[in-house]
Amino acid sequence: MTPDPLGTLLTLAVAAFFVGAALTPIRRSLGYAASVAGAAGLVVVAVAVLLGGPVTGASWTGPLNDPEALRLDALSAFFALACAIVWLATSVYSLAYDERRSPLLALTYCLTLGSIALLLSASDQVLFLLGWETMTLASYGMILQAEGRSDRVYSAAFVFLAFGEASTLFVFLAVAGLRVGTGTFAFGPTVGPGSLATLVFVAGLIGFGLKMGIAPFHLSEWLPIAHASAPSNASAVLSSTLTLAGVYGLFRLVSLLESPPLWWGAMVLGIGAVSVLLGALFAAVSEHTKGLPAYSTIENNGLILVALGIALLASADGLTTLFVFAVFAAFYQALAHAVAKTGLFLSAGYVEHTAHTFDLNSVGGAAKEGDPGEYAGTLAATLSLAAGPPLAGFVSEWMVLEALFQSYQFGQSWVQFVGLLAGAAVALAAGLIVVAMVKFVGFSILWRPRPVRPARGGATLGGVVGVVGGIVLALGVLAPWTLVLVAPSASVLIGHGVAAPVGQLLSVPAGWSILSGSPFGILSPPMIPIALAVGAAVGVGYYALGRRSPRRRAPVWMAGSEPGRPGETYTSFAYSTGIRIMMSSVLGTREVRASAGPVSVAAVDSVEPYSVDLEVFDAFKLFYESLVRVGDALAAALKAAIMPGRLGRYLAYILIVVLVVVALVAALY
Amino acid sequence: MPRATAGPPVESAARGPSEVALAYLASDGRVAIVNDYGSGRSEARWDPDPASLPEVASAWRASPARTGVGPLDAEEAVEGYGVFTFPYGPISMGVPESGRFDLRTYGERILALTPFVGYKSRRIVASVVGQRPEDAALRIERLAGNFAAAHASAFLAAVESARRSAVPRGELWVRALAQELQRIYNHLHVIARVAEAASQNVGAAQTHALAEELLRLEGSVFGHRWLFGALLPEGPARRLERSQRRELAVRCGELSDRFDRLWELFLESRTFIDRIQSTAPVPRDLAVRWGGVGPTLRASGVPWDDRLRVPVAPYTDLFLDLPHESGGDALARLLVRAHEIRASHLLVEQMLDRWPGDPSVPEDPGPAIAPGRGLGRVESPSGDLVYDVSMEDDRIVAVGLRTASRANFPLFARGLRDGVFTDFHFAWESFGLVFAEVDA
Amino acid sequence: MPSWIGQAVRYGIVTSRYPEAAATDAEVPATGRPPAATDGTVDVAAAAARCPVGAIREGELDRGRCVRCARCLPNGFAFSGPVEAATRHRSELRVGTPAPHGPGLAAAEPPLANFPRSLHVFLVDVGSCNACNLEVMALANPFYDASRLGIFFTNSPRHADVLLVVGVPTEEMVEPLRRAYEALPAPKAVVAVGVCPISGGAFRGSPGLKGSLDEIVPVDLYVPGCPPSPVNVLDGLLRVIGRGRAGGER
Repeated sequence: MTPDPLGTLLTLAVAAFFVGAALTPIRRSLGYAASVAGAAGLVVVAVAVLLGGPVTGASWTGPLNDPEALRLDALSAFFALACAIVWLATSVYSLAYDERRSPLLALTYCLTLGSIALLLSASDQVLFLLGWETMTLASYGMILQAEGRSDRVYSAAFVFLAFGEASTLFVFLAVAGLRVGTGTFAFGPTVGPGSLATLVFVAGLIGFGLKMGIAPFHLSEWLPIAHASAPSNASAVLSSTLTLAGVYGLFRLVSLLESPPLWWGAMVLGIGAVSVLLGALFAAVSEHTKGLPAYSTIENNGLILVALGIALLASADGLTTLFVFAVFAAFYQALAHAVAKTGLFLSAGYVEHTAHTFDLNSVGGAAKEGDPGEYAGTLAATLSLAAGPPLAGFVSEWMVLEALFQSYQFGQSWVQFVGLLAGAAVALAAGLIVVAMVKFVGFSILWRPRPVRPARGGATLGGVVGVVGGIVLALGVLAPWTLVLVAPSASVLIGHGVAAPVGQLLSVPAGWSILSGSPFGILSPPMIPIALAVGAAVGVGYYALGRRSPRRRAPVWMAGSEPGRPGETYTSFAYSTGIRIMMSSVLGTREVRASAGPVSVAAVDSVEPYSVDLEVFDAFKLFYESLVRVGDALAAALKAAIMPGRLGRYLAYILIVVLVVVALVAALY
Repeated sequence: MPRATAGPPVESAARGPSEVALAYLASDGRVAIVNDYGSGRSEARWDPDPASLPEVASAWRASPARTGVGPLDAEEAVEGYGVFTFPYGPISMGVPESGRFDLRTYGERILALTPFVGYKSRRIVASVVGQRPEDAALRIERLAGNFAAAHASAFLAAVESARRSAVPRGELWVRALAQELQRIYNHLHVIARVAEAASQNVGAAQTHALAEELLRLEGSVFGHRWLFGALLPEGPARRLERSQRRELAVRCGELSDRFDRLWELFLESRTFIDRIQSTAPVPRDLAVRWGGVGPTLRASGVPWDDRLRVPVAPYTDLFLDLPHESGGDALARLLVRAHEIRASHLLVEQMLDRWPGDPSVPEDPGPAIAPGRGLGRVESPSGDLVYDVSMEDDRIVAVGLRTASRANFPLFARGLRDGVFTDFHFAWESFGLVFAEVDA
Repeated sequence: MPSWIGQAVRYGIVTSRYPEAAATDAEVPATGRPPAATDGTVDVAAAAARCPVGAIREGELDRGRCVRCARCLPNGFAFSGPVEAATRHRSELRVGTPAPHGPGLAAAEPPLANFPRSLHVFLVDVGSCNACNLEVMALANPFYDASRLGIFFTNSPRHADVLLVVGVPTEEMVEPLRRAYEALPAPKAVVAVGVCPISGGAFRGSPGLKGSLDEIVPVDLYVPGCPPSPVNVLDGLLRVIGRGRAGGER
């Protein structure tokens, strides 16, 4: 067939990542440059697919005698677009950020990107699985590139690998189920309702949920990022695009299953709500510049699941308008989170570059005076994740909450109840995440207790963060048109062509407003900056034309004490202690005291000096650790039972195996 | 007057660790006052053998003239992740005077509290050296304005003891009357401030109004709302006529009845009790070991009051009922003060009833602790107050001073350990401490 | 709740009618008025010898130093000065012996600066005995109720119009006081309450003390007394916004 220029571009784009990986031993920057090229190509192809139709690149016959090709349809194009935008930012960032002599980080980085590109452009499930597994291995390698090779790094990376392999296992199960149900590996034919569909769905939910970091698997998300302290460009890729791959897998799976029953949606909604709450809570009490965003990823992926859950419930209940709206909400939440989280991790990387620590209590002043990109970008990213208008996160959170509000429409009361509980959890989490985001941006960027040396390459790092912030703002303000662009992707998930839920109300121009329901609620994101600008113009005009009193700068009032003495300012830890104490029953807050020095016996009224630490614990981490202990004990017992080291026993095994094989062969033939 | 002993010190009967306490030790080490809480006796010793004295808490030493700002005692050291120092003061509206508290905290909880004093240091004790006692008294009574009667009475008693000069009986009775009226005002003020902190606005306003009435009463009887000059020998001539005394008795009775009704209403308020119960607790052995005095000590279960244990005329002839509390928390301290308001009213009634017919009869001040050196002890509204005055040629040579606030301050700091920020004001007001007394 | 209301009803309204009505004797005790020579027969030399703070000199009585010890009363002085004794200039506190009886306060004295009709006050204690603090705090009790006149106490100097200073300035409080003064936004006024910040009061000449508030921050109003009664303080605050009671004798 005649080579299609877009198809060639697709093939070249996907190949570019792998070529870049091969080039990294020569020069690291070649690999990153190739990634930039690949990401740019993907953007072009993805937009073309969304505007036109599916694009097919190179094709060949796979190992199982099935035709495979690199193909982007509307659904994968959306995720490819989101990932590519993220990769453009992180690759440019990596050019300045990666200063190691070893090319391993660049190598594993390119491989990870390439494998995700591969699984996104997979035309059938075998290629998808190949990409999935390669992604796990490549990102495992990327995590191992953390500074310093301590035991903590290895064990955290191993946990990540273990969860990743478990995820592959469950995805494999789902793929096998689909093969049984449809008879082919290609994406397209759907499976009817029944026990097979349930098996496929549950396996897929677990498999993709593991990658998304959904509770109770959220350990896989925050442990490698926070504990292993993976490099920042790696963290951005892990948190944004790896989880996005998981979302893509889940969405693709749902598109291949017909008529989901009611309880699927309830299950997804419940799991999502728990993740939202857990993620927000632990983010609010986290002191790690990377751990806090990692928990926020768990919260946002939970929101995606909440939206998807409402969509599934609505589809089962026959509420088409709500179904369509919830699907768009899920898509938009995925997009908004991917971009904003990238900005946040890149900002954390900038902070790490200047302050050389991950502790929020010590990084104050990381942003050099006059680095507008870092400031604006971080503010935009954190505000977006805290759902502040007019940013992308605000629009997506609004859409999810609107979908939850409409849960009164469900027929069965138990479904309404689940929707109510989920709504309460999402609302509580929204408040907690504001605390977390304010803490992050306040203590790392805004608070400047001491002057800071500028970072090498800081201009590029800050610039990229600024650009990402700008994209977040654009996605927010231009949300209605973005939703129109997303419509083809949503159609694939829903199963038939749908229009974006944008419309017109009052005197706002047509296509400027997002409508939820018919209409239930309405939001016009482009109008927000217009209204803000008008208000600001009035204020500025009043100020410029009116009488001005002279201004004077005065120092901070600290009750007469000298302000700004070291050790006398609020720490980031103290900022969240209120939450630790309020939610102590959930967080397991406890005080650990130890004597800190010798008690002076000279004075009868001496007081013993002591040290105190307020700790919270993660019940899930405890659960996994005990699971590991049980597994170890079982394995040890089994080993002791089967492999006692006695020659006689081993000879007996050989004899038994020979007899069994002879019996089998005799029976079969 | 405290009985002085010369020669080797007398062994006290009960030498258990928490029953014998040192109430005062002069900076030159030549005068010591020992309280025995077990037997209820107090004795002053001259040139005591340091080994025979109970362990010395830092608060019991005579306050040196303080210069510069510094921690009251050793700084409390608490470390931990996220722990920082929250400096509260010196100009904070919650605490009307100037003084700083360094709170060690990880947010919400007060892990340790170190008071920083010396902001208000007027160097009074140093500045009266070389003055005539009559002029020094002007400064002494303005050391802590709301305790003016107590400071003036104790200082004058020490001077009279040092001079071995006789005091007209009427003077002693006027001093006692003045002290009791100021005690009532101070206790009412403390209760009103705690009520304010607990947002019991109506109760607080009523109690503040009662306190204001008392100030006006003092103003009309003694000519000055805070009794400045009222007790000084060179102040305006003062005789309480029978009609004045009758009027005073009637007014005091009214105020006492009003307070009784107010206090009943306070105790019925669960929110009020809840805020002060278990707040800043001071256990008994801590209060004794660290040298606590006054209502704080009585609230921790030690029934010690100078008016009973170190009696001076007219207290020797009057009935005083001590409160019985042992909780040691802010509620106990307030209960003690409420009880004492009633007890003081009763004392005032008794005094006015038995006012000496001939006030000019001289009373012997008793033997001095040493030639030219006298001790004066009174129970100020916040506790035991000790003045140790040395004189020569009718001029002040040295003044040793141990105030109630200085003694109780460390108890406040220790009591707030492991409290929360919101407990701070309840604790602060319930102790009734005055920075001016500490910084002198 | 009903019991508190019963208490309130039984007690009635006790709020002072100052400044519409003159201050009563109950509100201002004998020592609440500044001293004045009763007539020409006053024995100035003897009084000057007895005055411990040097407030009386030949031909001059300095009300900014008088600590109300009453030692000069046998020599012909009395606490008969006006309740409205606050002045804008330190020199106005020095009166003759006998003090000329002049016309009272001008009825419409302009405010000290562009203050609104209500006033927010921030209290700073630089070294007081606590009596002045308590008298200022007494303005909030039902007898005086300064909020009915639009006078409020703030918790932060950033919200205040007036810096109310009590106590004799100590070395250690100079910096905190300056910081507080800096923190007040313009227009602002400083009111010195009591003779301690005006002249050192009973501690005048004591080593290690600043002696007078003028040396640290500019003072706009002086309220003499030791301590001034709440009505005196109220008069001072009202004078800041030009609503002082008229008609008092000087």
